[in-house]
Amino acid sequence: MIAVLYGVLILTGVIIGVTGLSDIVLYNIVDERLRIVKQQLAIKIKDPEQLNRAVEELKQEFIRAYDLDKPWYARIPRVIYQIMILDLGTSRSTLSFSGSNKVVDIILERLPNTVLMVTTAVLISSLVGLVVGLWSASRVGSFLDRSTSLISAISYSLPTWWFGMVVILIFAYELRLFPSGGMTTPGLTTTDPITRFLDLLWHLFLPVLTLFVALVGSWIYVTRSIVISITKEDFIVVGRAKGLPERVIRNRYLLRNSAPPILTNMILGLAGSITGAILTEAIFNWPGMGSLYYNAILSADINMILALTYIYTLVYVVARFILEILYVVLDPRVRY
Amino acid sequence: MRKLLRNELLSIFLSSNTSKVGITFLAIMIIASAYVVIFMPLDFGLRYWNNPTFWADYPKLVPPEWVNIFLGDKLLRHTILTAEKPTLSLEDVKQYILTYSHDSDQLPQTVVFKLNNMTFTYTPIIELSVRRPDGRVIDLLVIQPLTSGVSERVDLSGRLEVAVALSRFLKDEFNVSISATEIIQRKLEFKILMGTPVASNGYVDFKTLRGNYMFNIFLRSDDPTARIGSVEVVVFGWCYGFMGTDHLGRDLSQALLYGFPVALLIGVVTSVITAAVGALAGVVSGYYGGIVDEVIQRLCDILNNIPLLPLLIFFMFVIRMNEELRRTISPLAVIIIVLVVFSWAGIAIIVRSMVLSIKAQQFIEASIAVGASSIRVMFKHILPQVAPFIFAQMMFLTPSAILSEAALSLLGLSDPSIPTWGQILESAFANQAMYLGLWWWIVPPGLLIMYSAITFVFIAQGLEPIVEPRLRRV
Repeated sequence: MIAVLYGVLILTGVIIGVTGLSDIVLYNIVDERLRIVKQQLAIKIKDPEQLNRAVEELKQEFIRAYDLDKPWYARIPRVIYQIMILDLGTSRSTLSFSGSNKVVDIILERLPNTVLMVTTAVLISSLVGLVVGLWSASRVGSFLDRSTSLISAISYSLPTWWFGMVVILIFAYELRLFPSGGMTTPGLTTTDPITRFLDLLWHLFLPVLTLFVALVGSWIYVTRSIVISITKEDFIVVGRAKGLPERVIRNRYLLRNSAPPILTNMILGLAGSITGAILTEAIFNWPGMGSLYYNAILSADINMILALTYIYTLVYVVARFILEILYVVLDPRVRY
Repeated sequence: MRKLLRNELLSIFLSSNTSKVGITFLAIMIIASAYVVIFMPLDFGLRYWNNPTFWADYPKLVPPEWVNIFLGDKLLRHTILTAEKPTLSLEDVKQYILTYSHDSDQLPQTVVFKLNNMTFTYTPIIELSVRRPDGRVIDLLVIQPLTSGVSERVDLSGRLEVAVALSRFLKDEFNVSISATEIIQRKLEFKILMGTPVASNGYVDFKTLRGNYMFNIFLRSDDPTARIGSVEVVVFGWCYGFMGTDHLGRDLSQALLYGFPVALLIGVVTSVITAAVGALAGVVSGYYGGIVDEVIQRLCDILNNIPLLPLLIFFMFVIRMNEELRRTISPLAVIIIVLVVFSWAGIAIIVRSMVLSIKAQQFIEASIAVGASSIRVMFKHILPQVAPFIFAQMMFLTPSAILSEAALSLLGLSDPSIPTWGQILESAFANQAMYLGLWWWIVPPGLLIMYSAITFVFIAQGLEPIVEPRLRRV
């Protein structure tokens, strides 16, 4: 797991080094600092020639300080170290809600919003998926059962963000039932917690609906195939042959054994949805990390993109790590 | 025996409705792609799509023509009238007459006269006028082109000379006075040009005249060589074509059609290479075992744990920032490479586990005993056994490649010189199409993305009974 993290870090480091992107970033920083220093110096030094010389000296000093005189591979360890201790630099274009332009502040402020939206959607869709999946698995060949594969095919091939656009078109533009984006009504000044909560729900509805539609199909399908494949195991057949009541078979044999793979899917789905919701967030202008990513791309904010790529990987890897631990707890057969 | 087996598998595959639908969809996609490759220029993106002047004579942001079927008040059709040769040719005057029949209450967005390639020795006088269904004639404008060989594009709306002429026409014929500047400000040009004023409670309103309008172009010159290459009158309507137009007046149906081969190319190339790499790595890893296996599997573990979309975005962003790199390699190629590099691992892991169980079977042992080489065993005996699985995985990879490209297009990170469905959606999103209710700009491209993705999902689902015999319903 940790290897993955290092792998991604080194990979991104090498990529930005080879393509000269890190040079651009660092030279930008140097120029920015020089501009400030030059203004200060201009007050003290009146002679323009002398001023230029002083600035040039400073520039060389900065270049040495940022290792710009060394080749890119000499700088990578430092870049990686900086990212690892979450010293992610400053953003060029975005400010956090509290006015800081440090990348860490901005991201930490937005992470909960993303988690709120994605977790809500994943929870609802997985619950619905579980119930419907189990139901259709117990009635193999019924109409619902036969349509599960169609539903899952649609879910799989549906571009979530496009569905979001259509949902906005219908519900926010045509019917004017829900807001087209954002997380709170601008200008809402009430401090009443219930009103604020309802307002949040009202804004949450469309993005969660979008993610729900995109996720629920595969949920039904996955649950159904897991349950069906376990139904065909020998111990179920033996249980039935012994004459155990169907309820006992279902609760003790079937569900207990389906739990680990279903849980795996749930956590992986959660981790996957956080990265997958980047575009959905951008479409709904949800103040999470996804729309941050989108805006960073639009304004070519390199520091921000680098940091977000890292954070997304981190979230994913942490989810996988939790999964490994849960596996041992849930499934006594797994031992490390 | 082998042929028999293959036929049996084929019939299992074709027995399900899902795979039949999938194959039909695929056939339609291939036909559409073939049509594009044969009949559309391959540099369509650069030469036409990204060239706003090419779309100047198309109405902007209008819905498709077929919406008229569902509407009570019909939308005015977009009409282009052309004449190559003068209708009347006298010694010192050539007259071009273009007849336009108007049978709608709706007025055009604007009317544009195009005088292409005017050649002469002395400057001629060109007069534009219109004869209305009620027999009244309005002299609109006089043009004197200065240099030979140029083309002139005259947009009647917002042009002061035209407004002055219309104002005078109103005064003379109906004794209604509206100043020229007011005409331009209130955009009354076509209400006057194509209507009669009626008084409605102290306010002047206009009633649209239906019938034949004759647009006349007189070329007056003593010079016998003076001529206009061709004349065109474009009446800008409120609907266009099969799929409507976007903010630049671009005909969406063309780009939607062009998207077929692009999507097919991205999907198929990515999935074929990924499946090939994954299968090879899996077979080698499973067959040789030991250190080779260990290295490949650890690599797979790492690759399998990386979230693809953020990395893809990162890579594409790097490409976009680096001019030099962008010139040498197309962003589309980068998308394909990144997708291959980060998706083969999933296949390799499963193929390896399948190979392990196949390797333990006796016929493998037998063929090794007879002296078959490793290569022969791997490709002749093991690979055919895992082939259906690899094929099914390939079908599942195709839609994810198509969807990834669309997603990157939305972020503006794809290849701008090749129009794709995702890029249409990107420009729709960037131009507020959702808030303006421009459904024809949003719905069709997404449906096509979904269509092309679901085609392969259906085929993959049809393959499932072959890959997983337990799911067969006999």
